[in-house]
Amino acid sequence: MSSKATAQPLSLKIASGAFLAFWCLLAAFPIVWIAIMSFKSPRDAFAASAWDVIVGPATRAAGNGLSVLDIVLGLAFLFFALRWAFSGLPKLVEQYSPPGFIVLGWLVGAAAYALVFLLVFFGVLPLVFGALNSIAGPLGTPVLGLTTEHYVAVWGENQFYRNFLNSMLVTAGVVTISLTVGTLAGYGLARSGSNLAFWLLILALIFRALPHSVLVAGYLPWFINSAEILRPIFGNLSPTLYGQPWAVIAVLVSINQPFTIWMLRSFFQNIPAELDEAARVDGCSHFQAFRRVIMPVMWPGVITTGLFSFLLGYNDFLVTSLLLDAQNQTMVPAIAGYFNRETTTTDQVEAVAAAVSITAPLFLLVMVFQRQIVSGLTAGAVKG
Amino acid sequence: MKFKTFAAFVGPSVFMMLLFIAAPLISVFLQSFQITQPVMQQIEVETCTPGFLTQTCTTELKTVPIIDDVTGKTQTTTEWVGLQSYRNVLQMDKVWEAIGAGSWGDILQIDFWKALRFTLSFTLLTLPLVIGVGLMIALAVNNASKSVRGPVIFVSLLPFIITPVIGSLSIYWLFVGDGILTVMLERWTGQDIAMFAQSWTIELLMYFYRVWHVAPFAFVIFYAGLQTVNMDTLESAIIDGASRFERLRYVIVPHLMPLIIFIALIHLMDCYRVFEEIVGFRSQAHVISLQWLTYDFLVPDDAGNRAVSRASASAMLTMIGIVLLLILPLRRTWRDHKGGAH
Amino acid sequence: MYLKKLALAGAVSLMGTSAFAACSYENTVPLKSLTAGFEAWKAVTDAMAECGNFQAELDQEFRTKQPAAFEANPSLYHIGGVSNGTITPLLNAGTIRPLDDLVAKYGQNLTPNQLIKIDGKTMAIAMMVNTQHLMYREDILNDLGIEVPTTWDEVFAAAEQIQAAGVVDYAIGSTMKSGWNVAQEFVNMYPGFGGVFFNDDNTTAVNSEAGLNALAAMQRTLEYTDPEVLVSDSTYVQQQFQQGKIAMSNLWASRGGAMEDAAESSVVGKVKMAAAPRAVEGGAPATTLWWDGIVIATNITDEEADAAFRLAMEGMDEDMVTANNEAAIWLVQGYVPGPLAQGAIDTALASPTAPPYPSTTQMGLLHTALGNELPAFLTGERDAAATLEAIEESYTTSAKEAGVL
Repeated sequence: MSSKATAQPLSLKIASGAFLAFWCLLAAFPIVWIAIMSFKSPRDAFAASAWDVIVGPATRAAGNGLSVLDIVLGLAFLFFALRWAFSGLPKLVEQYSPPGFIVLGWLVGAAAYALVFLLVFFGVLPLVFGALNSIAGPLGTPVLGLTTEHYVAVWGENQFYRNFLNSMLVTAGVVTISLTVGTLAGYGLARSGSNLAFWLLILALIFRALPHSVLVAGYLPWFINSAEILRPIFGNLSPTLYGQPWAVIAVLVSINQPFTIWMLRSFFQNIPAELDEAARVDGCSHFQAFRRVIMPVMWPGVITTGLFSFLLGYNDFLVTSLLLDAQNQTMVPAIAGYFNRETTTTDQVEAVAAAVSITAPLFLLVMVFQRQIVSGLTAGAVKG
Repeated sequence: MKFKTFAAFVGPSVFMMLLFIAAPLISVFLQSFQITQPVMQQIEVETCTPGFLTQTCTTELKTVPIIDDVTGKTQTTTEWVGLQSYRNVLQMDKVWEAIGAGSWGDILQIDFWKALRFTLSFTLLTLPLVIGVGLMIALAVNNASKSVRGPVIFVSLLPFIITPVIGSLSIYWLFVGDGILTVMLERWTGQDIAMFAQSWTIELLMYFYRVWHVAPFAFVIFYAGLQTVNMDTLESAIIDGASRFERLRYVIVPHLMPLIIFIALIHLMDCYRVFEEIVGFRSQAHVISLQWLTYDFLVPDDAGNRAVSRASASAMLTMIGIVLLLILPLRRTWRDHKGGAH
Repeated sequence: MYLKKLALAGAVSLMGTSAFAACSYENTVPLKSLTAGFEAWKAVTDAMAECGNFQAELDQEFRTKQPAAFEANPSLYHIGGVSNGTITPLLNAGTIRPLDDLVAKYGQNLTPNQLIKIDGKTMAIAMMVNTQHLMYREDILNDLGIEVPTTWDEVFAAAEQIQAAGVVDYAIGSTMKSGWNVAQEFVNMYPGFGGVFFNDDNTTAVNSEAGLNALAAMQRTLEYTDPEVLVSDSTYVQQQFQQGKIAMSNLWASRGGAMEDAAESSVVGKVKMAAAPRAVEGGAPATTLWWDGIVIATNITDEEADAAFRLAMEGMDEDMVTANNEAAIWLVQGYVPGPLAQGAIDTALASPTAPPYPSTTQMGLLHTALGNELPAFLTGERDAAATLEAIEESYTTSAKEAGVL
């Protein structure tokens, strides 16, 4: 809408800009705020005055603080690091990832970037700044209370990385299986005009509307007793499903299927049927047509749907908290565990630190796939 | 497409849904007409529990289940009770009594009706808000210059991607007790404010949280839709002298209509099973939702009791409600299906 | 500076672990436990883990999982952590075994007080007690010349004075979060007024004079508490105490230690503990006594049970208590009660004594009914009589469904 006829009056531009700025503030504020809390001592984090939370007097009194010098240099580093993420990183990824594997390249690139960033920011910079502060005089005295002790506690003492790995396993499983099963079904449903297909879709919709707590509570006794129940069939090999990540993956995939097939169906409907019909005229079976013709063009829709599956698997609490044991616990129930009946304020701030840490991968994901989400939706769900 | 090929394509997906969704659903359906209870007996038991230095022993009559000698499990009986569990949940006798006495407020004292009232108002009030806010953000982003769009979309998506448990907690902390936003409000109004002391403020916060959380989803879908608006139609509308608002009303909104329905559908379903907000904002004392009610029946107490039958009944009632809500938007899909059958 | 701190933290945590004497034997049987997740359980399971081959599960969902997991054959866990509330389903289902022979074999260091006996058979081993005690700001009470209250009437009188003096935001802190917590407040108050929970035919007796008194006392409390009291659980009240916002609270004994934590608390050294106040002059403290302890599953082999019990004894020994003296009011030998525990001990030793929390099926049902119906009374939607009726009705419905009526 850049042609002259649609040029907008200034007042409208200002109003729309102001609204956008307000919305961005609203969207980011709670998240930024818990991020700030996570760096303060428990007394500061839950202080009544906003200023105390930001400046952190108790944290500073405990000997954890940043000087003006730290802040200026740190912000500068942050600025350049972020700018490079949007300019240098994409070039590097495109240059080094093999053709056709650009997505994989992005994932590797983003993970490597995050790792290097964390190492430099939390490992190298504090050392450098410490040396600088001792010679900088008044500029080097701490003014802003800030501590990373909660992160150290969460990732070190509480071994949060194990929950992280479990989360990754569950999420990866959910995304792959969900998409594999879902694309097949979505394609089948899109190309079949039968009433059966329609009613399947409606049924799926009703399934999606079900309250999850009902389903999940129903699984527990079966999962715990599965070894006994399955013994007549599988003999002594029969597994106890409770606590098994792959059993949880299966549950999450099923719960997520209705949404997946709806999304993918509407996406496939927008790929002209003539495309695969032409392939079939050339003697391909439905499956061959799907593999040779549809698969190469379906990626935008699949990536978008995959992102929703990712969010579901990564953010799930109800299923994972009930069906996994401590060894295989994922991150969200682990965090909720900090809030049970017997917790202290320190536990809560540690929980906040853990919460901020689990949000970071989501940040990266959106940064990387932002364009694909929009283009995928444009190509797919737009037609309803 | 032949049935066999179709079955092969959708088979795995349907199998998983049947196993993990339909099967539990059927068992829930059956359980809502049954009551399974252990066979109880009364025995005299002497129990000794510790004080700090000495034990106190008490002998009392206890009601305990009988344990089967052969299987080593508790004996249970299962009885078909018809609609008894539904009656226990709905408590129609009390409802009629309240209506008879003309005191409508009393109906909302009954858990199910209280939950239904909140669930419906939550669903129906947030729906237009989510669509409206989502559309406004989409239009504003579309209006913004290309250079800021990327970062703005990124920030806008944050509330949607953040883990719901954490999102609701972060907002809870901003307002609870002397949370910084409450303090700010107090300074503004000069009054002592307690956001979690009365139901309407809690409800307001819950509405706010839900719109905050879901509007980005609506936004990104609408934004995608705006990219495909037919420029020719838009330009001819301009030539016809349509005002900005008229263009929005007659060109853009109709173009987005399928998307609005899609969002409405998803939103109706998700809101109708509102649950996280109740737990996150600890609103049980003031407002409860239907899924929370079901969950509350299902969670065992310290003694291990769970009201499975009433939970099943309330789950089935929730289901009926959602089907009723969905019929309207789905009529369109049915017409599309009939009209656009391949 | 940062690295130095990291090293220091490492050293401290090392010291923390080496303060335990390492395990006296090597455990060879793979064992698992399922317990709640609070500090005392962390201490005990850490001590058990030193013997090797042991996986501890500290799970907030343990109440949901434990009955089902112990019923599986073989049981998914060997050792369970229970309290007098949560032992009920395991006892009822017969999924925990009598421990008398094992006590004879490995229990030399147990005191008779620790053995939980049901009909003469030892079914569980208690490790700690928990109860409510009155926590108060000594400085505020001294400044205003108030004696430490011993009854709820005195608490209200003191609260009146504190409120009038305006030294804190709210005179009283209370754990009335709807659900389990608010029900527990009633369960504390009601026997204090001489109420009994059940009649002989399992119907509930809360709809009585004592019930009305208990409700009146709870409502009276509301005058001096935070208006948001219906969302505050013990962590929140503890936090309010630490931030100096409240002056008195009848809180769980396990919460006392947090007042002395300088990193969280701005009232270090100012909070003192006394016995839980009585509801009526000369009555029992208005609270219930709780214990936490371990049980061993039925559906495991005898060898496993043997190893599990031996390991549990190793976890609950004197060394563990010495290293974690402040984590709980231990029943284990070697415990030296500190000043923070005095209030709880006074409560437990008071005469007449407060009743233990009853471990029965009916109590679970009543607790749920109370938790769901009390909030309407406290928000003022319903009067006391109607609330007691609603509690009775709700209990009756679920008791019929559970088969106890």
